[in-house]
Amino acid sequence: MNVQVLLDVRFQFCNNPLPVLRPAAMEVFDMVNQQDEWVGRLTGPNRDDAISELRAFLVRGLTKSMASRGGGDAFAQDIAQDAVIRILDSLDQFAGRSKFTTWAMTIATRLAISELRRRRHQDVSLDSLANGGALQIEDTTDDGNADAAKRDALSTLRQLVDETLTDKQKIAMQAMLNGLAIEEIASRLGSNRNAVYKLIHDARKKLRTGLEKAGITAETLADLFA
Amino acid sequence: MSLSKNQIAKLLQLIGTTKEDSMDCECCFDRLAEFAEAELEGRSLCEAMMAVRTHIESCPCCADEFKALLDGLRAIGNTDDC
Ligand SMILES: [Zn+2]
Repeated sequence: MNVQVLLDVRFQFCNNPLPVLRPAAMEVFDMVNQQDEWVGRLTGPNRDDAISELRAFLVRGLTKSMASRGGGDAFAQDIAQDAVIRILDSLDQFAGRSKFTTWAMTIATRLAISELRRRRHQDVSLDSLANGGALQIEDTTDDGNADAAKRDALSTLRQLVDETLTDKQKIAMQAMLNGLAIEEIASRLGSNRNAVYKLIHDARKKLRTGLEKAGITAETLADLFA
Repeated sequence: MSLSKNQIAKLLQLIGTTKEDSMDCECCFDRLAEFAEAELEGRSLCEAMMAVRTHIESCPCCADEFKALLDGLRAIGNTDDC
């Protein structure tokens, strides 16, 4: 990629003030060098060596990052292998805005987390979570001594859920509150991650606005249910 | 099915942390490597990177992936000679 184009893109995006012009430009030159070096090696005559190096690098990072997330050494090896294939297929998408290795690790990490999420909930259906779409907020305050303000807040929330959320939003929210990741909900709804994120985000905004209109702010809620 | 106490707490947290978010998960992913480097190096964030941060603060899934990415990058040092 042309260096001037990269510089233009960077300044257009970040609109950095003049005092940081030189360091930012230097970074871009570094990134271009990195991009050229890695992409060149991964597509050049000694590509097998570069691929092995990249795979070893990803295994090191994934072994550490997945250890506390339910993925062992063998898992890290498998994901690194898949990630290398994905990375080689996507080399033309590396825009040089970060180090190549950071970009590669980003792809590998998403693959790893997605696979862990898939395994964790592979036998869970939306119906089993949402009982056909209901998101019911019952009075779960412990006993008759529960704070009246708490009861009122929950009652308002229940009403907002019933009256303002669509069935699809209720299903998605219920699934999310049961621990399903957005992409897992999307695959079950026959949708995609962006659309489900927006569906849930819009539901959250409706509930927040409704609560605020009823005089219940996020801070009030945090205090009540701390 | 009704919500447990923990789920209600989680719902309230989701409502409380809802912000205006101009990004979606894929846009966030496209800029995540750059954002991770800015975070690790303590750089000040430009407007595009602030949008990534807002999305991560609003999206539990992207937040999980970002935390895992930082763990991985810290583990390998991610120096230029890697
Ligand atoms: Zn997201």
